[in-house]
Amino acid sequence: MRFQKKYLPFLILIVSSALAMSENPAFSADGKTVGMKRLLPQKVGNYKSDGKDQFYDRQTAFRYMDGAAELYRSYAFKLLMVRRYVKDGSPPIVVELFDMGSPEDAFGVFSFETEGEDPGVGQGSGYGGGLLRFWKGKYFVNVYGEQDKPPTREDVLSVGGVVAQSIKKEGQRPRLLNHLPDKGLSARSIRYFHDPHSLNHHYFLSHENILQLGEKTNAVLAVYSMPAAQGKTLLLVIEYPTRVRADSAFLNFVKAYMPEAPLTKAARIENGKWTMAQVYQKHVIVVFDAFSQKSGEALIGTTRQRLREK
Amino acid sequence: MRMRMKRVITRRDFLRGTVYAAMAGSAGFGASGQAEAGAEERVKVVLVRNENVVDREGRINPEIIQQMLDQGISTLLGEGNAAQAWRKLVKPDDIVGIKSNGWSPLPTPRELEVAIERRIRETGVPKKNVSIDDRGVLNNRVFLSSTALINVRPLRTHYWSGIGGCIKNYIMFVSTPWLYHPDACSPLATIWSKPIVKGKTRLNILSLLRTQFYGRGPHSFDRRFVSDYKGLLIGKDPVALDAVGAKLLQLQRGVYLGEDRPLDTTPRHIFAADEKYRLGVSDLRRIEVVKSGWMEGALI
Repeated sequence: MRFQKKYLPFLILIVSSALAMSENPAFSADGKTVGMKRLLPQKVGNYKSDGKDQFYDRQTAFRYMDGAAELYRSYAFKLLMVRRYVKDGSPPIVVELFDMGSPEDAFGVFSFETEGEDPGVGQGSGYGGGLLRFWKGKYFVNVYGEQDKPPTREDVLSVGGVVAQSIKKEGQRPRLLNHLPDKGLSARSIRYFHDPHSLNHHYFLSHENILQLGEKTNAVLAVYSMPAAQGKTLLLVIEYPTRVRADSAFLNFVKAYMPEAPLTKAARIENGKWTMAQVYQKHVIVVFDAFSQKSGEALIGTTRQRLREK
Repeated sequence: MRMRMKRVITRRDFLRGTVYAAMAGSAGFGASGQAEAGAEERVKVVLVRNENVVDREGRINPEIIQQMLDQGISTLLGEGNAAQAWRKLVKPDDIVGIKSNGWSPLPTPRELEVAIERRIRETGVPKKNVSIDDRGVLNNRVFLSSTALINVRPLRTHYWSGIGGCIKNYIMFVSTPWLYHPDACSPLATIWSKPIVKGKTRLNILSLLRTQFYGRGPHSFDRRFVSDYKGLLIGKDPVALDAVGAKLLQLQRGVYLGEDRPLDTTPRHIFAADEKYRLGVSDLRRIEVVKSGWMEGALI
């Protein structure tokens, strides 16, 4: 009898774990869900968890967010935990905690939208329309209200702040960002991604994948504000796995987008602005909407220099 | 036989204003291009709007929405009243599935579902042979044995397919929706040829009571980018409705965002539904929008 009592807690743990796994397809035996649960407190002020946590992985995320799941799947998204916090007399607050696999991809999915104010939560944040978005370490987090009458800004930021504090480990932004020239750079415009769909979301280029982007390519797109009357110029830097892949993508891009400039790789397009591209080592550098050929070439030149230095 | 080269559409086609021709060319089929457009039959869709259908608190007036629906169906089918029009669409021995949309931030309004069901029942279809469903259609007895479908959903931008409209609303008729996501969901129209739906759709309704013209946030929804347009767009051709809907969303973005901002994702599935899968007409020059009611700020 003594032997059975000794192992009873373990037996209960095994049975309850098995039950949880059978109910939740995203449950993984490596304890990831347990680790994520630890990051979200049961109570924040007068808000408390409703006790109905949900988990979704790359396959099941569609059940939760339909086609919007494709955005997260275009990064190395691993697991999503959803917890609702409730308080008497107040609309519930939803926290979505995404394990993005790496700090780089947590930053990447955060950079997809950078509108609104930055309330200083986590390693980068944005707040607007009742929605707080932030990233810290390998996690990306949404905090918002579900109902027509959203919770107060104070409550949303309070819950988000506590979650951010419970994520102890910070992470590095993608290394590729270090190669962006500083002068004129709009920091909130920086987007980091892998797939052509994200590029098109920010700057529609083509319905075909003419730059041969994919999960093994890292890309950064940023806006540069030029002196008055010159408008905005965009810089795209893509890192390919190999020089051969970079060369292939570069030639394909020039052929599809600037067929009139096979030698110069620079063209004045229909809006009167300049597009130009160069390949450097295993990178392709593209400038869109440059005010002049000279200004575009200068931006590419500085980028090449930064790539060489770092 | 002359081979047509696959045409890559780029930003430069938009700047030149040649997107439609490029889209048609890229599909690899004979384009219903400039010269041919005038010679082909035009498709009719009806836009009905009423400024009082949604009140200041966001409540939908069920009586007004019924009137709007009746007006739209009568105009579409050229009948003097709604009862006659519905009798053209549905017979008493039909088994009717009303394919709705339950996306929680912006679902098909319940008041609209009720208005449709009421008119169907009035044609003599027994209650047991009418069902409203979205995600459960593949397990729904009425839908599995249906002889007629009514397709109704709100209009919104969609992260992956450009817009969520009539064509996309049938994605729940397949068990593996994600297989239709590649290439901006361009194969969506193939779902319409599956036995469970093929040839059954009698009417398509895009609810424009509230339109989401800009997607943002975790579920591509943000209350700030939802417009009380207070309209219904009704027609028999789902492709024509979606083409007009896509144009409306683009125009609303321009008004609200203060700049000509194309949809974040080109809704290729609309063009493909026309040029490749022959489901309907996407060329706006071949679509006649008949307007009824309040038209202030209609944009289209």
